[in-house]
Amino acid sequence: MAFFEQEIHDAPSTFLSKYVFSFDHKVIAKQFLWYGIAFLGIGGMMALLIRWTLAFPGEPFPVLGQILFPDTNGVVPPDTYAMLFTLHGTIMIFYAITPILIGAFGNYCIPLMIGARDMVFPTLNMLSFWLALVSAILLLASLFTPLGGAAGGWTSYPTLSTLIGSAGVGQTLWCLALFVLGVSSTMGAVNYIATIITLRAPGMGYFDMPLTVWGLWLTAVLNAIFLPVLGAGLLLLTFDRVFGTTFFLAGAAATSGSGDPVLFQHVFWIFGHPEVYILILPAWGIVSDLLSFFARKPAFGARSTALSMTAITILSTVVYGHHMYSGQMSPLLTQSFMMLTMTISIPSAVFFANWLGTIWKGALRFDTPMLFALGVVFVFGLGGLTGLYLATVSTDLYLHDTYFVVGHFHYTMAASVLLGGFAGTYFWFPKMFGRMMNETLGKWHFWISMIGLNGIFMGMMIIGHAGMHRRIYNPFVYEFLQNLIPLNMFITYSAILMGSAQIIFVYNFIHSMYKGPVATQNPWNVGTLEWTIPSPAPHYNFAEIPVVKCGPHEFGNPNLKGKDFQYQTEELVKA
Amino acid sequence: MTLLLDLYLKLFVSSTFAAEGAAGAEMVKVGFWEAIKPPVDISTYGHLIDSLFMLTTKLILFFFFFVCLGIFGFSYLYNKKRHPKALYTHGTSKKQIGIVAFIGALVFVMVDMQITTISNHDYVNVFLNYPKESDDIVRVEVLGQQWAWNFRYAGKDGVFNTEDDVVTLNDLRVPANKKVIFQITAKDVIHALYFPNARIKVDAMPGRISRLWFELTKPGVYDIACAEICGTFHYKMKARLTVYSQAEYDQWMAEVQERSKYITEVDRVENYWGWKWVASN
Repeated sequence: MAFFEQEIHDAPSTFLSKYVFSFDHKVIAKQFLWYGIAFLGIGGMMALLIRWTLAFPGEPFPVLGQILFPDTNGVVPPDTYAMLFTLHGTIMIFYAITPILIGAFGNYCIPLMIGARDMVFPTLNMLSFWLALVSAILLLASLFTPLGGAAGGWTSYPTLSTLIGSAGVGQTLWCLALFVLGVSSTMGAVNYIATIITLRAPGMGYFDMPLTVWGLWLTAVLNAIFLPVLGAGLLLLTFDRVFGTTFFLAGAAATSGSGDPVLFQHVFWIFGHPEVYILILPAWGIVSDLLSFFARKPAFGARSTALSMTAITILSTVVYGHHMYSGQMSPLLTQSFMMLTMTISIPSAVFFANWLGTIWKGALRFDTPMLFALGVVFVFGLGGLTGLYLATVSTDLYLHDTYFVVGHFHYTMAASVLLGGFAGTYFWFPKMFGRMMNETLGKWHFWISMIGLNGIFMGMMIIGHAGMHRRIYNPFVYEFLQNLIPLNMFITYSAILMGSAQIIFVYNFIHSMYKGPVATQNPWNVGTLEWTIPSPAPHYNFAEIPVVKCGPHEFGNPNLKGKDFQYQTEELVKA
Repeated sequence: MTLLLDLYLKLFVSSTFAAEGAAGAEMVKVGFWEAIKPPVDISTYGHLIDSLFMLTTKLILFFFFFVCLGIFGFSYLYNKKRHPKALYTHGTSKKQIGIVAFIGALVFVMVDMQITTISNHDYVNVFLNYPKESDDIVRVEVLGQQWAWNFRYAGKDGVFNTEDDVVTLNDLRVPANKKVIFQITAKDVIHALYFPNARIKVDAMPGRISRLWFELTKPGVYDIACAEICGTFHYKMKARLTVYSQAEYDQWMAEVQERSKYITEVDRVENYWGWKWVASN
């Protein structure tokens, strides 16, 4: 690899240039982290409001309810309920998980792990964050429009999301917010791809990259290809709303000319299915690395893990039809989409086997990041396997749009990704802030979250199989759902438990930032490049660009004397 | 603290609530396993979905058992106290690659191929196998709107969208043991006609006619819901499904046909939302 000469900025001197308009990937990563955590809080609060409504319909939400909904005496009104689940989905996917997993860890880990001094396009990187902020302002502004924010579900299918179903300006702002966010994420994605291709330290081949970088790279590729598709769809929808076009109108509602609402579903899911993998791939990468780091053993079949992640990336682009089985799809198409979707289970089985192979005969250390990584293996096992019901067309006819779907995708997209994100946070915190997080609180956080989220999402799958459909304000107007009242309450209690566990995390995070024990350069004894420099990472990371001589997972080499791991800058010890 | 107190109150109240409900809406307190059962299956093909669900569950549990065995077993056996020296292997020997490849293939053959085959067979041969137009069937046109279901029967002349059509709101009545075929569309936004008791749903989309058929076996009254978010009162888009015996159905049909002569006003355009029946085959 030819060495690529990076443009170097001087170290910033003013507060503004250092913490606000910074070109430094590490500062931008932290900005994304705060942004993501703030929205995680908002989205989580919305989830609690939703859960409260489902378990105790018609009863005022404690404490906050009186402030938020004075007109109804603290009870969540049905139109607000629709807005809540719409924005909960939108915020969690685009404003919480994307910034944390991709924005924060992508920015922080990629240059440090490949031995670069910064991203290849620092200005683009900064622009990516500030556009994300513009998008957040647009989205939050939609809440204060006369008819409230978007309320058509995070999928915003027309014709509900056109003027026929949502008259307010909130929906238009929602479209624009996501469009701007798409631009922001595409900028980030292009930057990640270019950085990984051009700025790998000399000697680092693609298979010498840590799997975290692999995950982030594949995510960036999917982002760069498919976010523009979503952007196109959203622009057309905006045209329908603002300029009176009829791309997505049909039937009695289309007064002049006629388009097709199903067209939007195609456009949306061409983006929407890869989006699932956009969110989970960084978590897979982090987990693959952490299992090896804390098992003190080389990652089992690291190359096949990387290749199966690549295979899934490719397959994820051709399976989107399984979201639309209930729309009278031709059996030719259902058969193809069903088979293609099922094929994903082969690479998934391969890296599951590799994960278990990694901890087989290791010397496992159960530090907090490892607990979270093992947690991901558990919940993604459940989440991935339950996808089989939804990929098969006949069971999907029953389960489509029920809470079973909600439970399934929360296991994959919420539980796994969130646990993966926490694993990463606990793991890289010392490098980010130069201090260690509290282990005891971290373990409490893990176990309570684990109990809480399994209670929630397993409960959701059970009530979904019992027939409860999605996005309903009060399930108990239906005779066939009467028996599910206690279970819905149980899910809500689990959600409150899970929510309260996050208070432990926030406390731990903020407290450790200032008062935690000072971290050494390499607190976890790991050999990847970011641990060869001081904690926190200095400006421009590497005083000298490192030369890579071995893989990222060299643990427990019997020929090694004195320590059980090798830095990537060291020659592989042979007998 | 208030929240905590409220929680305890809720917990306490919930037990009394169930008792009240029992008195009020004839709700019987049921056990956990009874409560989580899917609604009673009243169709001729619902068992196909239930049995495929059970099969998939068994296969999933089989594989998830091994995942758990790996996670918990290895965590126990190979923690650093019990097993301080990790094995130095990259998982690249022929044997190791073989095992991983075998697991991948096993999942594909044992799970994927099996359930895909069954599901595809059911979908093509049962769910899409619409009854013939020449058969003795009941035809219903359905129009979803915010937030109600309109049902239209052809009436005495057997032709849709004429003055003697029988039109009902949120009230579908069909005979048991007879094939019923629906043609469904929506007026404003996308809805989905969802029969939990028949394990089936289909989208109702503006500008398209979707089809669905079923044959019900158990007379009784059941719920119909809308499964696709369609606005604020999506949850109230509920209709009633009454399954009659053939005699009851004939009697009811005769009554409403008689009544429809007087109800339908010729001049009111909105009564004519129906369409000419599209022959399935």
